[in-house]
Order: sequence, then C-alpha cells, then structure tokens
Amino acid sequence: MIEFLALTGLAAATLRVAAPLLLASLGETIAERGGMLNLGLQGAMLVGAFSGFMGAYFAGSLWIGLISAIIGGILTTLLFGILVINLDLDQVVSGLAINLLASGLTLYFTRVLFTGGVSPYLGELFGPMPIPFLCNMPVLGEVLFTQTGFVYLGLVSVPLIYVLLTKTSFGLRLRSIGEDPVIASYLGINVVKMRYAALLAEGILAGLAGGLLTISMFNTFDPRIVAARGFVAVSIVILGRWNPWGALAGSLLFGFTEALSLRIGIIFPELSGASINQLFALLPYLVALVALVVGGRGVRGPASLGKRIGRER
Amino acid sequence: MAITPLSSPFFEKREVNSTPQNEEYAIFLKNISKTFPNGTVANQDVTLGILRGEVHAILGENGAGKTTLMRIISGILKPDKGEIFIDGKPVKIRDPRDASRLGIGMVHQHFTLIPEFTVRENIALVLATSPWLDLKKVDEKIAAVSKDMGLEIDPESKIESLPVGKRQLVEILRLLCQDVRILILDEPTSVLTPIEVDSFFKMIMNLKSSGKTVVLITHKMKEALQISDRITVLRGGRVIRTIPTSDANEALLASLVVEGMLPAPTLVRGTPGDIILKVESLKVKDDRGRIAVDGLNLTVRSGEIVGIAGVAGNGQKELVEAITGLRKVESGAVKLLSQDITNKPTRFIIEKGISYIPEDRMHRGVVLTMGVHENLALKCIEKPPMSKSKIIDRRSMVKNAESLISKFSIKASDPCTSVENLSGGNIQKLIVARELSNGGLVLIAEQPTAGLDIKASEAVHQKLVELRSMGVGILLVSSDLDEIMKLSDRICVIFGGKIVGEFMPENLDVERLSRLMLGAD
Repeated sequence: MIEFLALTGLAAATLRVAAPLLLASLGETIAERGGMLNLGLQGAMLVGAFSGFMGAYFAGSLWIGLISAIIGGILTTLLFGILVINLDLDQVVSGLAINLLASGLTLYFTRVLFTGGVSPYLGELFGPMPIPFLCNMPVLGEVLFTQTGFVYLGLVSVPLIYVLLTKTSFGLRLRSIGEDPVIASYLGINVVKMRYAALLAEGILAGLAGGLLTISMFNTFDPRIVAARGFVAVSIVILGRWNPWGALAGSLLFGFTEALSLRIGIIFPELSGASINQLFALLPYLVALVALVVGGRGVRGPASLGKRIGRER
Repeated sequence: MAITPLSSPFFEKREVNSTPQNEEYAIFLKNISKTFPNGTVANQDVTLGILRGEVHAILGENGAGKTTLMRIISGILKPDKGEIFIDGKPVKIRDPRDASRLGIGMVHQHFTLIPEFTVRENIALVLATSPWLDLKKVDEKIAAVSKDMGLEIDPESKIESLPVGKRQLVEILRLLCQDVRILILDEPTSVLTPIEVDSFFKMIMNLKSSGKTVVLITHKMKEALQISDRITVLRGGRVIRTIPTSDANEALLASLVVEGMLPAPTLVRGTPGDIILKVESLKVKDDRGRIAVDGLNLTVRSGEIVGIAGVAGNGQKELVEAITGLRKVESGAVKLLSQDITNKPTRFIIEKGISYIPEDRMHRGVVLTMGVHENLALKCIEKPPMSKSKIIDRRSMVKNAESLISKFSIKASDPCTSVENLSGGNIQKLIVARELSNGGLVLIAEQPTAGLDIKASEAVHQKLVELRSMGVGILLVSSDLDEIMKLSDRICVIFGGKIVGEFMPENLDVERLSRLMLGAD
C-alpha cells in the first residue's frame, strides 16, 4: 500500500515538475514552426523566473509576480526577435547571447538587491488548486486534479495550440513561414508580423514556465534556478516532432525521470545516500541525450528552421 | 521544325491608342527604371502595354531584365522610377497582396509552393481570410476551377510527391482560385518535356479564351512565335521593340534579342576512341534513403560527349555524385580506365583524372569569398608550382590566374579579387578554366550553361568541344534538351535511375525521346 501511495505521489510529482518543461516546449514549438530556433528560451525562462520573483516580492502579490513573469518572458523573446528578424543575425548565436545576457543580468541584480546575494523567501506561493469534485476521485484526483494552476494551464494549452497550428489560417501561415519564409512573403504573408506573433506567444509561455519556478515551486530566486530546463525544452520540441502532443509526451518523460530522481530515496530507502542522489539528479539529462539519439534520428523539422532569411530579394 | 502560330487574326487588326489611360490595356508600364543596390541596371525607362486578353511574350536573353520587370508588376520589387497603370488607372503595387488584389498573379521560375504541404494547404494559404481554416470551401473552389480548366489534380497530394510539370499546374490552379485576371508566367516551359509543352500551350490558349491576359517570359524565340499575339523584346534592361507576332520571324527576333549576333558555328562531331569511364549496374540512394540510381549502366569513350537527357529528379544528381565520390555507392562499380574508383575518396578520384563542373556552381564550384587566384588553384594547391614543400607560393598562384583569365577571357578586375564580385557567367568560366587546366581524362559537366546568357553559353560549348577534340571524355548532364542535342555524340535517356534509351544524333527521334524522358515508352 505504501508503495502504491508512493507511485501515486510519483505520478503527481511527474506532472508538477513537467509543467515548466511543458509550457516552455509549447512556446518553443510555436516559434520553431515559424522557423525560429530560439535557444534563448533558457534565458527567457530565467528572466521570467527573476521578474516573477521580483514582482511578487516587492509588490507583495503573487498575481503581480505572475504578470511580471509574463512580461519578462515577452521582453526576452522580443529581443531575440529584434536580433533575428530585424537584424537577420544568426539564430543560434543570438539565442546563446541572450542566455549569457539573462544570466549576467539576473546575477547582477540579485547581488545588488539582496544582502549576501541571496534572495529571501516569498511568504506565500501558488499552491495546488484542487478542482472541486474531481479531486475526490481515487488516484486521478490526486494525480490530475490537485495540481497548481500552471499544470492545468499547460495541459489545456496542448490541444489549444494543436488547433491553433493545424486548424487556423494563422497556423497554416506560420507553418508556411517555417518551411520557406521567402516563398511565404511572395504569397503576400507578412513574415515579420507573423514571426513576432509567434515570439509573443513563446514569450508568454516561457515567462510562465520560468515564473512558476519562483512563485509556485521554490518560492525563492537563485540565478541557477532554471538549471538546464530551457535546453531540455528545446530538445523536447525535437523529440515531440514539433507537435504540441509530442511536447506533452516529451515533457512527461522528462518530468517522470526528474520526479523519479527526486523520489528514488523514498521508493527505495535502501538506495538513499548523498552520492546516489547526486547521480540520479543527472538522470533527466542522460535521458535527454539518449532520447535525442534514439528519437531524434532522421526527423525533419520545418525546412527553414534556424536559417537566416538572407539579404537578397 | 515548323512553327504554327496559334494567334488569332483579331490582334493583327486591333488598333489601339497607346496612352496609359486606355482601358484596353490590362497593364501599362510607363518609364519604369530599376537599379539594384549592387549597381546592376535591370530596367531602364521601360514603357510597355499589355492588352487585355492577349498572350504577350516578353523575349530576351538571361539578364535582359525580364524577370525584374515582372517582379515589379507582381509587387515583389519596387521600381526606382515610373508608373504602373492597371485597366487605365494609375496604381501603386507595394507588395504581392496589392498585386493579387488587382488580379495579377505570377508563376515564378522557382516555384512558390511549400513542398511539405498538400495541394489543398498550398491553395488555402492564399485564400484564407477567416481565422478558421475552411478547407471545405477551399476544396469547392479547387473543384470548380479544375473543372473549368480541365485539370485533374488531387488536392490531397503533397507537392513534393508531384512531378515538376504537375507542380506548375498547381501554381496556375492556385492563381485561378484567387480569381487572377492577369497571369505572368516566368520561363514556364524550362521544366517541361516537349510533349508537356504542347499540352501546356493548349492550356494557355484555354486561359486566353476564358478571357485571361497572359504574359509569358521566355528566352526561346520558337515559343514566343508559336504561342503569343504580340512580342516585346528586352535587351540590356530596355524595350527594343514590341511587334505583333504575325509580323515576326526567327531571324528578325534574333537580331533584336542579341546585338550583333553571329550565327552559331556548326559543330563537328567527335571521333570517339576507347572506353575510359564505365559505370556498371550502379545503385545509389538519395538523401532520403530511397534508391535513386537503380542498376544504371553507362560508358564514356575518349573524345566523346555523352549527353544524359532526363527530367530533373530521375537520378542525375545522384549518378554524378556517385562518380565524383561525393555520394556512397550501394552496389555496382565505377571504373576509370581499368581502375575501380567506386567509393574512393573524392581527392583520389580528382587525382585519377575526373574533372567536375557542378550544377550548383555558387556553392560547389567556387569558394565565393576567396580570390580568383585561390579558386583557380584549389585543385592543385598542394603540388608545385602552387606550393613548395607544402608552403603556398602566392606568386605562382597569381601567375596561374593571370594566364587562365586571359586564356578563358574571364572578366575580373584583378586576379586576386573575390569571386563574389564576378558575374554568373564569369564564375562559370572560372570553374571551366580550373577543371580544364587540370588535364583530366573525364569531365562531368552538370548543367554547364544554366543561367548563362547566349554568348557565355556559346563560349562554354566551344570549350567542351575543344576538350573533346583533345581526347577527353565528357559526360554532359543537362535538362536543356537543345544543349544535349547540339553537343552530344550519343544521347542516353535517364528515367527512374536507369538509362532507358540511347540515341545517336543521326537517328534521333525527338518524339520518342520525350516519351522516354517521361517513362511512357
């Protein structure tokens, strides 16, 4: 019975830790379908985490934290947009530059604003919001319906973004830009506008993904808080074959390994011990590597992904 | 070949006052000029009227400014000067959407279909106005237009699975679904076999009889004479003359298209010697892992030009890459003289005497940002005199460049200038110079004159013939059937990765050749 409870807990934890990956990879899916490989996702999450924390801490309201997390995410992806859309710079280099900038700035402000460079803890955080009635179901009630708002939002976004990409004119246009922006522009599609719209969506989702780390999960800010979640989210997009449902599956896979690595000591008490735990913390990244090698083979993404539009025309 | 003009007598008698405001003109261009940022003058003071309901051919060499002019009309480029009138009213065409609102649509030489999308999605892309994709409405439109035009296209099929000729029809279908009144077609027949051209021309006549105005960009005089009502000749970005097709003939047009054009010298046939290149039941896969060359057999003799005729995408690219060592051979053999060069490193193959003029000359033929002298020395850089004990001798590189520049009349400001400053024709001359100066046994020439003007093409052809008379065996892969027929001592037809037919020039049957190219025989 104890083992069963542990498994239910593991499933619930899987969803909880998958949420930031899911939100971020959904955002990246939208951007990449429009032909933009935004490695700056990591930076956008970090800025989201930082601004979310700052908003919540200084205004004393989690809701203001939520809004400022979204704004932080948007500003970061829009900066990426200026670099790759307006200036037509290399996408990979621009993304990496944004990551460096984000980690530099957040580190700087943390040091400047807080004594000892350590952020204080928030008094409250966005906790689980049990859904009435549904949360009383056996097993599913705890796994699915006693989660934070971020988890619900991520899960609801999957079908919505799927519909957006496949059933709307916006989605069709965006995908055509991802295949060939020059052809799309010949067909009278406003490539600049469409790409900024995609980055706006990514910014919101990445800001939420980062914000949830500070205002819902750890209730403090640390410049290393995002860990490599942004990069993991980018690989989830590839694994998920640029499809929101695939992003969900990938996020759950990584969420599961992460949750497992956190709980391995609870499920198998005989395995606990500091060095073993550290080793298990590597598990998600190892899975990322293996999954990309196995699942990422011969996968063809949007044809113009990562390419510069070029100056000629 | 006899040319039967399809034009109606109606246009011969039609007299129009040539003011831009005249509503009989579907399009009237007034004093259009366009200069590109790099200084190329593409159009200069072009004034031109296209009558409603006519088929109007814009004839000229590559680089005469035809495409630029049409891109201005379709809103992709903006003119520096000049006015555009549609149906007698002055208009501003800022982007392709403006053009399509005015009922103008263009089929580009490089198609603007998304290969990953289906026919339906490609058409929905331009029709979609509501936020929700209404695919049923798109299907209805496709069905209605297809029925009118007698086209049979499955909206479910993915573009990349369609042959080139069909893709072109999808382009036209898409324009018609947008209710375009004026269709601009840029070199539409360059991707078609002679049989397909015939049915394509029938469709143009259909379009005309349904009241559409068709502008046909071409560099082929025969085509212009066969299909159009009026012909405008462009040269060096200027309008040389607009004439009714009934008043035109090939000699007149030739004199208008090229200034001081000399009649092409008649080419002598080669005297083939022994077999030097032998390809035996070769199997090669394409990028997606499908068999692209499927048990192909081929020989090339010394002093012989073997032409490979075929519709693009039938294994030509993979064949060439397998011979030159750029692509893995799955099975079979490539032999140079008695030596097996199958799956040998490219370096080894080059040194054994295979030269290569690649189709993608900008990316595979030269290093664009490097100097002319460096590019000319690329294949012999590690040998004296270019380098001594592995240290490059810049002076001999420059000397080598100077001698090749004058021998091949390459236009370059100095021997060390970056290759990106050269025109397409001169880059091709540079590649030819490098490949020919290496003293190879076999030359693989892949689309050697694609995109070159008549004079540059002629120069390349002369060099190939010269090389043949020196005993080099040449494998000429080209989608330009005229080029194949002009140069080849033997023509092999490739279809589905196999050689499906072979002709000697003296018993060439063009009809049968094009059927073979389509795999219909």
